[in-house]
Amino acid sequence: MFSELINNLIKETTGNGLNFFSAELWLSGTIVAMLLFRLFSLDRLVPTAFVGMIGAGLAVWYSFGQFQAIEADQSIVFFGGMLRQDLFSIYFRIFLSLFLILTIALTVLTGIPDNEDAPDFYSLLFGATIGMMLMASANNLLILFLGVEMASVPSYVMVGFLKGRKSSSEASLKYVVYGAGAAGVMLYGISLVAGVLGTGDMSLLADHLKVVSSGAAGLADPEVRTVALGVMLVMVGLAFKLSLVPFHFWCPDAFEGASAEVAGFLSVASKAGAFGLLVRFCIGLSGVPETAALMTAFGVALGAVAIVTVTFGNLAAYTQTNLKRLFAYSTIAHAGYMLMAVSAMLVMINSDQAAALSKEINYSIGGLLYYLAVYLFMNLGAFAVIALVRNYTFDEDISSFKGLMTQSPALAIGMAICIFSLIGMPPFGGFFAKLMIFASVYKAAGLHWFMYIVLAAGGLNTVFSLFYYVRILKAMFLEERPAEARKVSVPAVEGSYVLVLAAMVFLMGVLPGLANGLSSIANSAGSAVVSGK
Amino acid sequence: MVGETLRNYLMIAWLLPLAGFVVEIFFGFYSKNPRHSKAAAWCAVGCIGAGFLCSCAALVTWGNANDWCALEHHDSHGEHADAGHETAGHEHGEHAAGDHHVAEPAHNAAAAGEDHGHEHAVAAASGDAADHDDHASGSQQTTYSGVLYTLGKFGSLELSLDYYIDSLTLVMFTMVTLIATCIHLFAMGYMSEELTDEYVDHQAHTSDGKHVHRPGRFYRFFAFLSLFCFAMLGLVLAGNIFQVFIFWELVGICSFLLIGFYTERKSASNAANKAFIMNRVGDFGFLIGLMVLWTFFGTFRFGDTTNAEGVVAEQGLFSMVHRDEATGNFLTEPITGDVLITDNHGHALQQDGQNRSIPYYLLVVAGLGVFAGCVGKSAQFPLQTWLPDAMEGPTPVSALVHSATMVAAGVYLTGRFFPMFVQEVLLTIAYIGCITLFVAATIAVVATDIKKVLAYSTISQLGYMMLGLGVFGWGAGLFHLITHAFFKSLMFLCSGSVIHGCHHEQEMPKMGGLLKKMPITAITMLVGVCAIAGFPMLFGLHFSGFHSKDAIVASALAFMKANPSHFLLFFIPLLTAGITAFYMFRLWFYTFWGTPRDHHVHEHAHESPWIMTVPLLILAPLAWLCAYGGESGPLYLMLTGDAPSHLANGVAAATEGGLVMPGHEAVHAVHIQAGLLALAAAFSGALIAYILYGTNLVNVEQMKNQLSGIHGFLANKWHFDDLYDALFMKPAHKVAAFCAWFDKTVFDSILHGSAKLVVLVSQWDRIFDEKVVDGFVNLLGTSTQSVGRSFKVVQTGRLRQYVMFIVLGVVALFAVVFTTFPG
Repeated sequence: MFSELINNLIKETTGNGLNFFSAELWLSGTIVAMLLFRLFSLDRLVPTAFVGMIGAGLAVWYSFGQFQAIEADQSIVFFGGMLRQDLFSIYFRIFLSLFLILTIALTVLTGIPDNEDAPDFYSLLFGATIGMMLMASANNLLILFLGVEMASVPSYVMVGFLKGRKSSSEASLKYVVYGAGAAGVMLYGISLVAGVLGTGDMSLLADHLKVVSSGAAGLADPEVRTVALGVMLVMVGLAFKLSLVPFHFWCPDAFEGASAEVAGFLSVASKAGAFGLLVRFCIGLSGVPETAALMTAFGVALGAVAIVTVTFGNLAAYTQTNLKRLFAYSTIAHAGYMLMAVSAMLVMINSDQAAALSKEINYSIGGLLYYLAVYLFMNLGAFAVIALVRNYTFDEDISSFKGLMTQSPALAIGMAICIFSLIGMPPFGGFFAKLMIFASVYKAAGLHWFMYIVLAAGGLNTVFSLFYYVRILKAMFLEERPAEARKVSVPAVEGSYVLVLAAMVFLMGVLPGLANGLSSIANSAGSAVVSGK
Repeated sequence: MVGETLRNYLMIAWLLPLAGFVVEIFFGFYSKNPRHSKAAAWCAVGCIGAGFLCSCAALVTWGNANDWCALEHHDSHGEHADAGHETAGHEHGEHAAGDHHVAEPAHNAAAAGEDHGHEHAVAAASGDAADHDDHASGSQQTTYSGVLYTLGKFGSLELSLDYYIDSLTLVMFTMVTLIATCIHLFAMGYMSEELTDEYVDHQAHTSDGKHVHRPGRFYRFFAFLSLFCFAMLGLVLAGNIFQVFIFWELVGICSFLLIGFYTERKSASNAANKAFIMNRVGDFGFLIGLMVLWTFFGTFRFGDTTNAEGVVAEQGLFSMVHRDEATGNFLTEPITGDVLITDNHGHALQQDGQNRSIPYYLLVVAGLGVFAGCVGKSAQFPLQTWLPDAMEGPTPVSALVHSATMVAAGVYLTGRFFPMFVQEVLLTIAYIGCITLFVAATIAVVATDIKKVLAYSTISQLGYMMLGLGVFGWGAGLFHLITHAFFKSLMFLCSGSVIHGCHHEQEMPKMGGLLKKMPITAITMLVGVCAIAGFPMLFGLHFSGFHSKDAIVASALAFMKANPSHFLLFFIPLLTAGITAFYMFRLWFYTFWGTPRDHHVHEHAHESPWIMTVPLLILAPLAWLCAYGGESGPLYLMLTGDAPSHLANGVAAATEGGLVMPGHEAVHAVHIQAGLLALAAAFSGALIAYILYGTNLVNVEQMKNQLSGIHGFLANKWHFDDLYDALFMKPAHKVAAFCAWFDKTVFDSILHGSAKLVVLVSQWDRIFDEKVVDGFVNLLGTSTQSVGRSFKVVQTGRLRQYVMFIVLGVVALFAVVFTTFPG
């Protein structure tokens, strides 16, 4: 029997699994290659960034292969039920590996890390990315924990990568300790959930809960109460990754201490992976009538967390003068917007009209994915500008942006487009992303009144966010550059990098083909993850 | 084939002036020296001259195609035709075919010295055709129609530019282009004062009492003239009534531009407005007529359109009503009395199993509506008052637009649309013409401005034409249209020459004795005067007016004999024939005879330059001889080649109390009687004029004082302007004043009140805005700032606290979950 199990595992692995895992494998192989190059001093001949670029490119290529091979609603578990292959996970693979390429390109442009540290840095970067891919394709609570940790541990090091700087090391330390605390809590939660429900398979959680609770699940039942506690503790771990209030404390400190490139990577990639995981976890707990009431409450609670997070993030950004810190809070706020989509999805999927609303449910997940895609470009663009300007002014304060328009119109305009999109102004991509999420929330509001409050908070916060973003625009365009300020003379390639990102933000708003294509892919990915249940 | 050739010739003649207009108005404006160059004038002359040649070619083509059957004597009383043919051939040897059709003498005149080769070729060709005329029957096709360009299709309504070419079209084309060419040439001299950068208008004053100084507008004048020619020719060529309306309005706007050419003069701009507005009144009726026609007939076209096989594809208006052979009335539905709408063979068209028909009274409405347009355009009673004022335009404009062509367009349309008119409409036309001719002639007797006299005489003559048409004298009315065009344009040009020679003095009492100073002008003018007075026989050749006026008077007499109750339609024209001769000779004697009354004017008077006298010398023989042969002559025969067929035989009254239509036989029978009566009237009028103004036997001033009552009445133009002033202007002003008062007191007070209210509200709103909205926003800003700052306090940066916060957060969440989640 054991040998049969082994045989099945081998068969499954060689048949499907290795193919489905190819992107991660290529990234792993690249890590090995980079370290070997270093060992044999080949990195003097071939720049490590180049090797990394090839590895990331191959990952994109293979992910695209998977994208073309998979059918829309296909959902396959592999590696003994640990991972799940569907359009949703492929979307994240493509997303993350593309983002990897852009990040490598940015680090090449800004010169962090130097040649000596490059293999180490890129190994960490790749390792974190693999962790995030695992998060997005996790089908088991173990992989959930493994993915979160695999993404987190390299991140801790990357935040402290500016070794000579005290603030960097301090930020890294805070991040590690905070992360360790959160991981502990989450691990405890996982053990509670798995212990009571007798499975680690996320897609079975709801069914098992139904069995355990024998009837409609309610907190009066001690076992359900235990599971609820466990779920809540798991959520604390995810909230840490998503920097949701009140588990966001690490975020501003870590971002301020880390270099802008790392901050940009963390703000986008790590959020993306965590959202993938969150969606899978939530869907695993949903879809069974007995758990509906409980999960609706859960969704509403997420909505409440989203309100608090958005509001807090925006308000706290007001008084910031350090740009990285400001964008750290902005990141918190945007996580809140995206959480609204998950909240809306949960409310809809656990209502009695779930079958009729399947399109809207897909749309809410699609909105989240579209938001992530736009967020990739606009946030990376903003951090890229911060990093590039820092290279000339050695300063990351908002005052260093004064009169940037006269110094480097390309950076200023790129930054302006990214900021307008972050605010959510038409015709930029950010507007349509926000629109999709708010539309989902509005749909969900028909099912639960609280979502109206979520919607109102979302709208109101869009206004709040204007104030601190506009401060940056004002500094760039309206204020005089102080005479003693250092000159920003950006080479064309750096300017065009920013402009390409900005152009993507713009095109995702105005090019209907691009926007529709992407959002329909995102919607099918949403449909895939729901049907995988 | 012939139709296409004709169409192409006439289209060239029609479109060349448009091209000329474009060139003149744009290149005239942008050329290097626009104020001093005569290029625009030469361009205009070239275009219209070429148009004249095309018209002649078209005429010849048309004649050859049907073997000149139009010149066959389709009237029984044309026994002199052959003799006339011979005589003319001999007397004007070099104009071999001069008598075959009106185009020939015209052609000779215009071509004098420039195009002899062509002329002879044409002459030979037409001569051949006449010689070998095999006297083919009238079955030859003489009418060509078709579509030039479709403007648009709206449901079943198709608006297109069509052409309708018959003998009337061709004669009109030739006449218009010939006269226009002469007048263009004349205008080149007359308007030469405009060839300057600094034209001083002595009749226009600025607010500080000085004369207006402005750049000359030579090229603009010729551009407008070209545009007018384009519009006029388009009107004549038009193949549907809607197209007529389009060009009708286009000539209207050209007239507006030309009357108001001296736009700085208040009187000129007023006159332009007056002309335009009066015409709109008539056009209103025209539009109603159009609507009735379209509603019932479903088409605007005159003629049938044929498809490629030559089968009738779509019927035109003229073939949709048929007249009963016996009674000359329209075929009607026996029970309702509605007029049937028929196919080409007189069978009623069916629609939904019913005979298509139009109520009789609506046909009357349609006819009166179309005629209302003609009343406006041809300055008939009661819309006649605009034409005398239109003399504010330059004299060539008066000659071309306001005597020879545009005002004749109303008569032309009446003639063109004649087949659709029922007898009530025709009677209306006759009486309107009758009233007009008398009223205008009486006013002309007392007018002293030389151009005003001619203007009133124009109105009067147009009245004659309308009368002629109204009393079934279709040929007579149109005949007079053509002859009048020649002699009236001649007289206007002569008056222009006088005005030019007398340095813009237009008052006849200040002239006199100009015969010696300007002999060419005086003699040519005398020819015109004799022509309009209807004098016979000079060297054995009758003046044109003699023939055409005779024809009208004869028609009227025959009509009166057939319908005795309408005797006024004969006696008033007869009386007016005398008045006409009187006031025309009065004009001539006043101006050219006797002793100079104003020596200043007389001393400076001089004969005009050759470019102005040559057109006079061209037009004078035409005015004298164009009607050669009278009703057996080529012009009349040509003109009536396509006359409505029901006129020839005449009918007895079809309905009780209806009109009896005298046939051509009846008209011919009274011709000599009528001619003698008219001649007597004309001679006596001329004699009285000679006695009063040619000799010093009677003191005219004293007579004027004795008859001051009637003189004042006439001098005030029968008080028509005062009447309209009281009837329309004053009430309009009253209403306007009331509206202004209402506006000022009611609306303005509402406005002011609401403005004050808005100010009050906005003041309050400002307070609200500053205190509440701004306060709220500031509060929001400061509070969010302070909240944000308070968040900063939490973010201590102390790791120990952060870890504590994890624990606290978990515990807090735990509490929230267990208090709020469903049990």
